[in-house]
Amino acid sequence: MSAPIEVLALTKAFGRNRGIDDVSFTVQRGEVFGFLGPNGAGKSTTIRLILGLYHPTAGHVRVQGRDPTSDPVAVHRAVGYLPGELALFPRMTGRQHLDWLARGRGTTDLTLRDELVERFDAELDRPVRTLSKGNRQKIGLILAFFHRPDVLVLDEPTSGLDPLLQDEFDHLLRETVASGRTVFLSSHELDEVQRAADRVAIIKDGRLVLVDTVEALRNSAPRTVEFQFDHPVHASDFAGLIGVEVISNRDGRTRLALTGPVGPLLRVAAGLEPVDMTARPADLDELFLRYYRPDAASAPKGDPR
Amino acid sequence: MNHTVALLDLRVRLRPVIGYALGLGVYAFAIVALYPSFKNDTSLDQLAQSSSTLMAAFGVNGSLTSPAGWLNANLFNNFVPLILIVLTVGYGSWCVAGQDENGILSLTATLPTTRGRIILDKSFALAAQAFPAVLVTYLCVLVGRGFDLQVSGGALVGTSVAMLLLAVDFGALALLLGALTGSRGLALSVSSAAAAAAYLISSLAPAISWLHPFRFASPFYWALGNDPLQNGLPIGSALALGATAVALLVAAAIALRRLDLH
Repeated sequence: MSAPIEVLALTKAFGRNRGIDDVSFTVQRGEVFGFLGPNGAGKSTTIRLILGLYHPTAGHVRVQGRDPTSDPVAVHRAVGYLPGELALFPRMTGRQHLDWLARGRGTTDLTLRDELVERFDAELDRPVRTLSKGNRQKIGLILAFFHRPDVLVLDEPTSGLDPLLQDEFDHLLRETVASGRTVFLSSHELDEVQRAADRVAIIKDGRLVLVDTVEALRNSAPRTVEFQFDHPVHASDFAGLIGVEVISNRDGRTRLALTGPVGPLLRVAAGLEPVDMTARPADLDELFLRYYRPDAASAPKGDPR
Repeated sequence: MNHTVALLDLRVRLRPVIGYALGLGVYAFAIVALYPSFKNDTSLDQLAQSSSTLMAAFGVNGSLTSPAGWLNANLFNNFVPLILIVLTVGYGSWCVAGQDENGILSLTATLPTTRGRIILDKSFALAAQAFPAVLVTYLCVLVGRGFDLQVSGGALVGTSVAMLLLAVDFGALALLLGALTGSRGLALSVSSAAAAAAYLISSLAPAISWLHPFRFASPFYWALGNDPLQNGLPIGSALALGATAVALLVAAAIALRRLDLH
């Protein structure tokens, strides 16, 4: 069976410095794939290409093996979509939107709709213009999920949702992929992706800079190790250790970023007779900030906080 | 699909459609009810004959006080097409380009349907929106028989069909321009300007000789040039108006397939 979403050498040009350039990734069946990047990096552009709303300048998109621009009926039947900037008809209620979409999709089984309305505590009977952003977002989520699509494409799904509902949303994602369906979600927030996604792609300035599992990222993310000495030590004492970088070294306090195994570092440090040591767990924030910064190639210097 | 797209647009546009139909109905009824006060006013006809070019610019040709002349001068040669075209051009520019600018077209564009089918539905909605106002006007003029306004029933139907097709033509032009450019403002302004130009060409052609050969370029000429209220709508004119709408809407379907939507 074809992959739920396959993007190959995808390019969309809108003129200078916009659009996306040579983006490739494959989303596997049954995973939550996080698409992370700062605002304006090309997340929504990629999503519109996946849905066939945009036509690629070069490269191609396949959703379950089909081209969304030449075969929109099959692709749209399989996909539930939440736009990044959700627009609804202001005078219509959530229920009217849902009824309309159910007709348009020929969905007759509305049990999931009712269940989601209950879980998200959505207000369906007021005109959407009277609803808060969060309450409109709930309707958008229900619109994307209620017809049980095989593939969910969600652009910034939790924007405007309070933490309790974000939790409920995470559960919904887990249930969705547990039933063999697939979720592609974009976000500019690391927390959301880290919590919900199995794999993550990072896009910056229209180019993909990384695709990996969250697990592997966590393993490769730098841990911070700090030693306290009662005598001055030199940063050069730690030179030559692989995956170790001295962040600061002042007044006998030495802070290091560690991406490799901890053993060799401990052996060197032990020889220097430290009086105290603290270690902080992997920090994905630090890793992502490296990619987010304008000068992505260089590792951060000093404490970012 | 069962016309889901058309039904959504019609639901959203229900207020303007009812509003325009009521407004046109009130106006048409007033014109009809005023006829007995003017039908013997020969000075009106003298005025019309004395400055025929100026009168032509307002859509007045020939007698003002005959039943057909009165209705043409006050309804069918100017006000009715104007209002209908405002309605259809408004919808035509909103239903693709305007909805895309609002971001709301993505609801429709991600349904399991083709873009050609979306245009088909929106074409249906376009005609359906002009229909109530045309029908109300038709009924008001029928009521006019009680006010000494005798016009042939068949000719009135022909004139109403001409009004509907004329309005659909310019709505279809707006829809096409919206599907080509994605810009509601451009679709609205260019098709409004085209309607104004077409109106002037058709209404002034009888009075200004150098404009005369250009009258065939104007849908107004096909709709009104033969005075359908007096002579009936020629089948060829109806076909020309209908074919124009079909051609514009087919072009819109092709254009929408190429348009990047948001």
